[in-house]
Amino acid sequence: MCLAIPMKVIAIKGFNATCEAKGVSREVSLHLVQGLEVKVGDYVMVHVGYALQVITYDDAQVTWEMLDQVIAYDA
Amino acid sequence: MYSVESLLRDIKNTSLSKPFRILNVCGGHERAITRAGFRTLFQHNIHLIPGPGCPVCICPEEDIAYAIHLAINENVVIVSFGDMLRVPVEHEMGGCSSLIDAKNQGADIRPISSPQEAVSIALEEPRKVIVFFAVGFETTMAPIAATLLNDLPNNFKVLLSGRLTWPAVAHVLESQPNTFDALIAPGHVATIMGSEEWQFAIDHHNLPVSIAGFHPESLLLSLQTLLGNCSNKVVTLSNRYPEVVKQNGNAAAKAIINKAFTIVDAHWRGIGVIPGSGFSFASRLSHLDATNDYAPVDFPSQCAQNVPETTSPCEKVILGKMAPDACPFFGQECKPASPKGACMVSDEGACRIWYSSGERSITNVIKKGNTLKVEMK
Repeated sequence: MCLAIPMKVIAIKGFNATCEAKGVSREVSLHLVQGLEVKVGDYVMVHVGYALQVITYDDAQVTWEMLDQVIAYDA
Repeated sequence: MYSVESLLRDIKNTSLSKPFRILNVCGGHERAITRAGFRTLFQHNIHLIPGPGCPVCICPEEDIAYAIHLAINENVVIVSFGDMLRVPVEHEMGGCSSLIDAKNQGADIRPISSPQEAVSIALEEPRKVIVFFAVGFETTMAPIAATLLNDLPNNFKVLLSGRLTWPAVAHVLESQPNTFDALIAPGHVATIMGSEEWQFAIDHHNLPVSIAGFHPESLLLSLQTLLGNCSNKVVTLSNRYPEVVKQNGNAAAKAIINKAFTIVDAHWRGIGVIPGSGFSFASRLSHLDATNDYAPVDFPSQCAQNVPETTSPCEKVILGKMAPDACPFFGQECKPASPKGACMVSDEGACRIWYSSGERSITNVIKKGNTLKVEMK
């Protein structure tokens, strides 16, 4: 339930961003990271449609590798 | 840096006079631990014990029953995160033992994946009352708070059942002294609230704490750090998920939570009432409270003011007193397809994780006095 997924920020309009991961894009609110600098190309940890934290590309990759393993395990 | 191999070797080779008992309180951690096989791998020196780590599993039955009641008797649309729909209640409401049961009998109940989706449904269907059955720990309550502070349509109401994690952990540690030697703290709760929130376990329980992420390397680092605490007889708070977790957490998110909610005593399924462990509406949002608009229902509740004596197997699992597969119903009457208890429903429930992953190695972890008796198959 507390799972968060790393996504890349593709576009920003106000507090709303379009984010992408694994070819899937969705609207993500930046409301909860308003104290942080977020720009297009950054990576964010997304939970139930909200970015919770800004992370680096490397950390996003590590998390995605882990999630890929979980998905493969479940398949 | 650390390699997974060296961490594995380090942890396996740490020799202790008795197994080190580590409590985890996050379904995501339990899943990662189980899938990586750490429980079996380190069984000679570490006992990894799942505790109250899933907001779906601890959501009180009376809240679920009330949601069922609103859907079948008050003609509202109930929207909630998918896992909540399948959680069974022991005492049926209107002949229904879960929200999905009520849905199958014609009630309008819809799964959602974000709080904003709940609002979208209300905007799309202005003639219906949409009640968002909002369940979650701090990680989820921050996005819910942000959503509720927006301008919302008049037909949007909320049944709030959010909980704070640390008071439940404090309760587990207080009620079972000398049962756990260390704590792995939840990474995404700490993302919001900060690593500092877990200092209480050190100050009040002399328990080393490590905040872990969800990939195996981060968990191994936490295990190694906690074992190091044990070997060196020190008690520290370590953050092994620093790329996401900061000492003070996410200040904006905490401010938004504080603006939307107040903290109240709250009932936890399987545990009882824990002081200061639930979210309630701040006065500026009290108009959203669905319980203002609809009468309460009678529901046989264990919700006494005192924490009840725990008796059911689910309660023992939630409190870390019993391993999932020590339950007589595990894999028998209780399976993911036909769950008897909440822990078998949620993707983050310990029983569901153990059943789905084939985790069976520790067959009996039952508190016996101040020690844990572990029998291997």
